[in-house]
Amino acid sequence: MSKPDFDTFLAESINNTDSDITPQKDLWPGIEKALAQVPKPQTKSVTWPKLAGVAACSVVALLSVQLLFSGSEPATSVVMSDYFTQQKQTLLVQYQNQPALTDNWQQQLTELENAEEAIKQALNNEPENPALLKMLAQVYQQQLDLINKVHAPKWQQI
Amino acid sequence: MLIDAKHAFTQLSEDALIARVKSGDQNAYAALYELHVKRVYGLCLRLLADREHAEDATQEVFVQLWHKIASFEGQSQFSTWLHSVTSNIAISYLRKHKNWLQKVVSLEQSGMDEQSALDCQGLNGLDKLVLRLPERARMVFVLHAIEGYRHEEIATMLEMAVGSSKSQFHRARQLLKEWYENE
Repeated sequence: MSKPDFDTFLAESINNTDSDITPQKDLWPGIEKALAQVPKPQTKSVTWPKLAGVAACSVVALLSVQLLFSGSEPATSVVMSDYFTQQKQTLLVQYQNQPALTDNWQQQLTELENAEEAIKQALNNEPENPALLKMLAQVYQQQLDLINKVHAPKWQQI
Repeated sequence: MLIDAKHAFTQLSEDALIARVKSGDQNAYAALYELHVKRVYGLCLRLLADREHAEDATQEVFVQLWHKIASFEGQSQFSTWLHSVTSNIAISYLRKHKNWLQKVVSLEQSGMDEQSALDCQGLNGLDKLVLRLPERARMVFVLHAIEGYRHEEIATMLEMAVGSSKSQFHRARQLLKEWYENE
């Protein structure tokens, strides 16, 4: 028996669609636990939007650096990498004996480093792609901002 | 406790359950959950195309619903209102859980791979194809063709132009047709 044409299949499937699908695990215990907790006021993270703002402002400056070096022999990304690696190391050394304000900043830094690696891999195929270079600059700036932010004295956070 | 709640509230109408939930009765809420969880999960799975994400989003729906239900005034059917709440939460869930790179370059997530979709239990033939659609095409198709939203409404929900919603629907339809005919 031949199967119905697509339009018939689609119409019949939609009309006969049983909306119900059973989840594979029991979801109620998790919901019950969440309901049992006293509702807390929403505490939205304000760190990332601030960092993003700072990073966005810095990108302009970073791109200027990129343009400055665009005519030179080494790829722009290599020049940027060298520059920021130096900056990052300087900051890490500067703050090495200073306690960080958050516990998970190294995890955040790792995530940014993963993003950096992903962009670098993409740049291997398109070394002068301006969108990728801009993204690389952003991710470098975010790393520097993160390191600065978590080690800044508390009075600077007010 | 869930079993007790089911026994206790089996005979109650949905309206009565909702009234009890509004007054803070958690047993009534467990019964209401039982009534709707499969439908909410079905919608989350179709929108998110990922079982774990659909489970998380379903839990989020029922946690938020507990707080939102007071605003349900009965002007529409409860199931219609719940579908609207679910769609919005699933869309927010997807936005929140995009990784850094996807957010920066607006990368679109691909759908479920063919084998995973085939392995999904309890899905009909169309569902198994829908889960393979790329993110935007899938969401527009589910909201328009299955949930009955207008493109204008979808455009607002997904923060896209009405024309984009229409073209994503066309794209979804073409892909589904191609996959169906090559099955």
